[in-house]
Amino acid sequence: MVKELYRETAVARKISHVSFGLDGPHAMQQQAHLHVVAKNLYAQDSNRTPVQYGVLDRRMGTNQKDADCASCGKGLNDCIGHYGYIDLQLPVFHVGYFRCVIDILQTICKNPLCARVLLPDKERRIYIPKVRNPNLSYLVRKSLRKQIQVKCKKITICPHCGDINGVVKKNGMLKITHEKYRNKKPDKTMISELAELSKGMEYSKELTNIVQAGYNLNPQEVLRILETIPGEDVPLLLMNQNLSKPSDLILTRIPVPPLCIRPSVISDLKSGTNEDDLTMKLSEIVFINDVIMKHKLSGAKAQMIAEDWEYLQLHAALYINSDTPGIPLNMQPKKSSRGLVQRLKGKQGRFRGNLSGKRVDFSGRTVISPDPNLRIEEVGVPVHVAKILTFPERVQPANKELLRELVCNGPDVHPGANFVQQQGVSYKKFLRYGNRMKIAAELKEGDIVERHMRDGDVVLFNRQPSLHKLSIMSHRAKVLQHRTFRFNECVCTPYNADFDGDEMNLHLPQTEEAKAEALILMGNKSNLVTPRNGELLIAATQDFITGGYLLTKKNVFFRHDEACQLAATLIASTDINMQIDLPPPAIMKPVRLWTGKQLFSLILKPNKKCPILANLRTKGRAYSRDEEMCVFDSFINIRNSQLLAGMMDKSTLGSGGKANIFYVLLRDWGEEAATTAMWRLSRMASAYIMNRGFSIGIGDVTPGNGLLRLKQELLNAGYTKCNEYIESQAAGKLQCQPGCTDEETLEAVILKELSVIRDRAGKACLQELDPSNSPLIMALSGSKGSFINISQMIACVGQQAISGKRVPNGFEDRALPHFERHSKTPAAKGFVENSFYSGLTPTEFFFHTMGGREGLVDTAVKTAETGYMQRRLVKSLEDLCLHYDMTVRNANGDVVQFLFGGDGLDPTYMEGNGCPVELQRVWDNVKANHPFRNEKPLTSTDIVEGSDVLLNSAEFECCSEEFRNQLKGFVEKQAKKWSDIHEGWEQTCPILFELERVTLSQLIHFFQSCREKYLNARIEPGTAVGALAAQSIGEPGTQMTLKTFHFAGVASMNITQGVPRIKEIINAMKNISTPIITAHLDNDTDPEFARRVKGRIEKTTLGEVSEFIEEVYVPYDCFLLIKLDIERIRLLKLEVDAESIKYCICTSKLRMKPQQVTVQSPSVITVRPPTAKESLDFTLRTLKEALPGVVIKGVPNVNRAVIHEEEVNGLKKYKLLVEGDNLRDVIATRGVKGTQCSSNNTYQVCATLGIEAARATIMSEIKLVMENHGMSIDHRHPMLVADLMTSRGEVHGITRHGLAKMKESVLNLASFEKTADHLFDAAYYGQTDAITGVSESIIMGIPMAVGTGLFKLIHKYPFLLALFLVIPLVLENIEKR
Amino acid sequence: MAGVLFEDIFNVKDIDPQGKAFDRVSRLFCESESFKMDLILDVNTWLYPMDLGDKFRLVLTTTLYENGYPDNPEWMPVENETTRADSFEYVMYGKLYRIEGDDNAKEPSKTKLSAYVSFGGLLMRLQGDPNNLHGFEVDQTLYLLMKKLAF
Repeated sequence: MVKELYRETAVARKISHVSFGLDGPHAMQQQAHLHVVAKNLYAQDSNRTPVQYGVLDRRMGTNQKDADCASCGKGLNDCIGHYGYIDLQLPVFHVGYFRCVIDILQTICKNPLCARVLLPDKERRIYIPKVRNPNLSYLVRKSLRKQIQVKCKKITICPHCGDINGVVKKNGMLKITHEKYRNKKPDKTMISELAELSKGMEYSKELTNIVQAGYNLNPQEVLRILETIPGEDVPLLLMNQNLSKPSDLILTRIPVPPLCIRPSVISDLKSGTNEDDLTMKLSEIVFINDVIMKHKLSGAKAQMIAEDWEYLQLHAALYINSDTPGIPLNMQPKKSSRGLVQRLKGKQGRFRGNLSGKRVDFSGRTVISPDPNLRIEEVGVPVHVAKILTFPERVQPANKELLRELVCNGPDVHPGANFVQQQGVSYKKFLRYGNRMKIAAELKEGDIVERHMRDGDVVLFNRQPSLHKLSIMSHRAKVLQHRTFRFNECVCTPYNADFDGDEMNLHLPQTEEAKAEALILMGNKSNLVTPRNGELLIAATQDFITGGYLLTKKNVFFRHDEACQLAATLIASTDINMQIDLPPPAIMKPVRLWTGKQLFSLILKPNKKCPILANLRTKGRAYSRDEEMCVFDSFINIRNSQLLAGMMDKSTLGSGGKANIFYVLLRDWGEEAATTAMWRLSRMASAYIMNRGFSIGIGDVTPGNGLLRLKQELLNAGYTKCNEYIESQAAGKLQCQPGCTDEETLEAVILKELSVIRDRAGKACLQELDPSNSPLIMALSGSKGSFINISQMIACVGQQAISGKRVPNGFEDRALPHFERHSKTPAAKGFVENSFYSGLTPTEFFFHTMGGREGLVDTAVKTAETGYMQRRLVKSLEDLCLHYDMTVRNANGDVVQFLFGGDGLDPTYMEGNGCPVELQRVWDNVKANHPFRNEKPLTSTDIVEGSDVLLNSAEFECCSEEFRNQLKGFVEKQAKKWSDIHEGWEQTCPILFELERVTLSQLIHFFQSCREKYLNARIEPGTAVGALAAQSIGEPGTQMTLKTFHFAGVASMNITQGVPRIKEIINAMKNISTPIITAHLDNDTDPEFARRVKGRIEKTTLGEVSEFIEEVYVPYDCFLLIKLDIERIRLLKLEVDAESIKYCICTSKLRMKPQQVTVQSPSVITVRPPTAKESLDFTLRTLKEALPGVVIKGVPNVNRAVIHEEEVNGLKKYKLLVEGDNLRDVIATRGVKGTQCSSNNTYQVCATLGIEAARATIMSEIKLVMENHGMSIDHRHPMLVADLMTSRGEVHGITRHGLAKMKESVLNLASFEKTADHLFDAAYYGQTDAITGVSESIIMGIPMAVGTGLFKLIHKYPFLLALFLVIPLVLENIEKR
Repeated sequence: MAGVLFEDIFNVKDIDPQGKAFDRVSRLFCESESFKMDLILDVNTWLYPMDLGDKFRLVLTTTLYENGYPDNPEWMPVENETTRADSFEYVMYGKLYRIEGDDNAKEPSKTKLSAYVSFGGLLMRLQGDPNNLHGFEVDQTLYLLMKKLAF
């Protein structure tokens, strides 16, 4: 049975677009099946039959299993439901369109006979062609609407009928007032009309009221106005005439939705039913409607009808949006209900809960547990799960026998099947009942058997929160006993899983295509490396690192039997038949002993047939010097898969890093080699560690006498230092740090001193502890814990910090009442000198809990914050993908980047730091792998010439110029190294050719493998680069702790870091919490110069530079005398003198006149008080209060400038760090090198230097934050985010406001935030959504145009030709005859 | 003696000068008597204790067969034939992984060459005149044979 050619199903019925519009009363009636009039739900009989023409009429569908629909006769599962409608006795406003109605009324003439758009003819001629353009984008239409509205709001006299138009305002809940006669500048018509009215006003209070406060426009009147709007004016309201009329914005008829969306629940407990909120609301509306009708007929008072009308209005509003704001207290509904809007919005609403995320079949969830015996790509699935999740497999000759067997086994025996779908039979046969043998025998090719999940099936495995693409990966199933999902611990990192009760989800793809795609694109073997920076994510963890570390120690030797036993651990699973070639023992005599390193080498290359030759030379964590001869044996050298020197540790075995043996295997030998080696390590390391024994006890954390003494010395030294500082501060002798008070300085130095104590204690532990100490081994190998953790357990817990400072005062002038007031000693401010072993004192314990709580609060706050940030990032970047012309475009086809990342390379494949090939590694690798012993070595000139020839060959044309230059530079460096080494030997000796030996073939191999790696690293079209960038920035955010970061050298200059800072950058906030301008100076070596520029920038007040300001009273005169402190001005290098200060006083807010201020001498200024209403004495005193605050020098908005000193090549360089926003003024300051100023405020940078500078700032700021938290991100990701944010010419934040300006699609916006608002807007504008983006496609259930969905298969379909065959007409034939 | 690459008598000058990082394994700093070669060698001192001032004969060969017959690449666990190892006390098997010139390249004339060998992680560095390192090749497998000399 040949599989049918893939064809897009039902091509004719593809959703091309979704258009939004308003339904008028007529359309509602057409769609409806009945007119609902009865207010009762059920007839008063026992079996609860719905009332005819009531809201539960069966003609609108059915909501019960036992009743069929009265319209179509179908049951609950098949009837799609039918609409009804309610005719309102009086029109009401629609809450969703209320804003639109006001906007329209503000744009048009309120005269019910005119109702034209208030634009004069001249402007009308400008706008009409603009508005009629059918290709206008949604954003442009919105802005046009705004423009026209603003224009019309200003017009008071209708240019068409000459009537007066006032301000239209919302007035209370769902009421509109028209203030017709209120105008600040009444013109002629108005005055004459007012004059006419004034006569009436004398007699009628009501009329006065109308003239003064305007009159209400009720829905009836508004409807009349909207109905009169002439057709040619509707486009000026930016409405789509074909889809919606302005009058449809007012409700005169309400559709009644089908019963299936508002089911009634028959409760067993009490008699009666629980009706849906919508049903209840609709029946209330019918009831009120009824009342109004009766009142109308009986001719009730107008006031009563008005009251009913208001009530109807309220319920119509609540039906749509149940939390309509502004409901008067007396009308507030007693219990809250769920309106239509509430059904759509929010996380659980229709959009986010059911459309963007859907429930799926063939999935499972259970607790996870570890299993080092499973291979990396496997996942252990419980049999129970395997029997429920099935795969529909088509019978074909190759699998017929197998499937027969499975069918015979049935649903209860594991490798079995649950259903059989026979060809030509419409239903599935359940295999629990019936004759399975018979069904098996009748199995034909083409039938589909829903068989159980089996070993090797591709499954998707996922753990929430799914923060990056590696949170859902495909594995190969392995059906196991017991009830948990199991996987190799190496795979914990991408899922961020542990086994403390975590649960994970499993999905079984249902088609062969899905299987193939999942296996290749999502396979965890294909995702060993994170696209964030190309570092390994799936690698050895915890015990495997410890095991690898212990195994490869220099003093680990094995006897023959032990060696064989350990080597045999590799023989398992798929390698069950593998041969292992044990190498000759390292020590042959006196006893044959193998070293751990020899056995470790078997992990990489177990036998001679294995072709894998990995090479790695790198520093370990404890590296000291002398390369391989390092005393701690921490320089790793792996040559041709043989571990020659060095202990393996976290850096060479674990995740996060590229100097990793598995990374080398992955890049040079492929994913299979890497994962197999990883699996072998997990087998061997766990076997070794179990044999050797590795555990922890109280003895491991008991400090020895030496350690205790050392710690005491450290504490004493630290305490005395702190006391010295405290005393010197009390005496006022403490040298202040730049920009700090002495208090702050004291805090800073003490904090530094105390943190040194803990660090030193940690170092002391390292020296004093026995090398066999388990925590120490873990810290050294990097598998778990740090030296600080050890130090806290054994020596000293250290300073407890609360928001980066010592413990604050919770009591009066002290942290706890156990200490003296104003005490600044370490113990009184939260220093814990005990260790967890020795036990904390009560006060220490309390301080420790304070620190602990901060951590807990922090994580709780952070998860919520980063989660939202991630959602926003993904929502705005999801549709960016790489097209076939290597541009990055959004769903509309707008270009965001012309070449991804500037070089078109995939961050996943970066072997070096941001570059595709780590040349030195490849060079060494090629030399080791291909010795070419029989070839002649090349000289340095040969190397350069050879490489030139190779680089200029046609083969290298596909590489970028940049890459070729990089290669060239590297080879030249190697050639130079060669000539350096070969120079100056006294005699020539053949062995000298061994030095830096390179042969021609090696050179060729080198170039070829570099080229191959470069070509591999080119990014593939279709890659969802946007989603990758969003995840790469969002995911590390979750791991960041909310810490503030100090500038090196400058205390007190805290800049916001971590999640809050990322949030600021991404939101494109205008006012950031710590704006800092870095200003380079024209002369950056002179501290005097820096101080002078600082004086120009920093805000200086008069009070700061004056010796005194005093009131002087002399006969007939009194004035204020300001004595300037000339010495201080000179010292501060301020460029002010008495004249400039006079100018400043005159221009300040004090409003002094020049003649009032006189300069008496260079250091004396007198100020005479202005003649004022208040007494002279009072003005003099207020003036005296205000004068010291006058700013005499500096840039506005700058509070502080700090001189930053740094050493560059032994030279001291100075620059200014300015705390403030005013980039423009700082650049303009004399002495500042304007070309080298930078600010961290993207908005300011955009305003001052332009959009490109803003883009660069966003990139560098994101990078800075990430680096400060030790997170490396490929620069291409922040680049894409920055490019998107600035792609529209102004900086748009990734928030709901920014997103609304970046996205066209209504569905996308609606599924993000403000669901209802976006939908109502779309309906007003008659917007059509072309379903091109990712969110829209998911909502509509269409494959999205990203990745493998980017291209479409164009194929000639045979029967299309048949359609075009000319079939001769009947008469034609007759004629011929 | 075919297959012998190097042979000399060494004096132990220093043991673990930078501190003992691993028990059971010590690093010996030695100097040879005739060729004035410097040697750094890691030795399993549990099996073969060494003291300061000890004098030992050291032979580096590519094969253990007396006749210099090339070494069998397959290692056989049981071997009863007499080999060169019989006359030595301590034998190691390893791989030469690097030959390097003098560290300080600034000197106008270079005279020293170093050969690095790893015996399953126990390292050796032999440094001296290039002429004494004749026949050394990178990736060569070597046997190290040692015997203490009585005074």
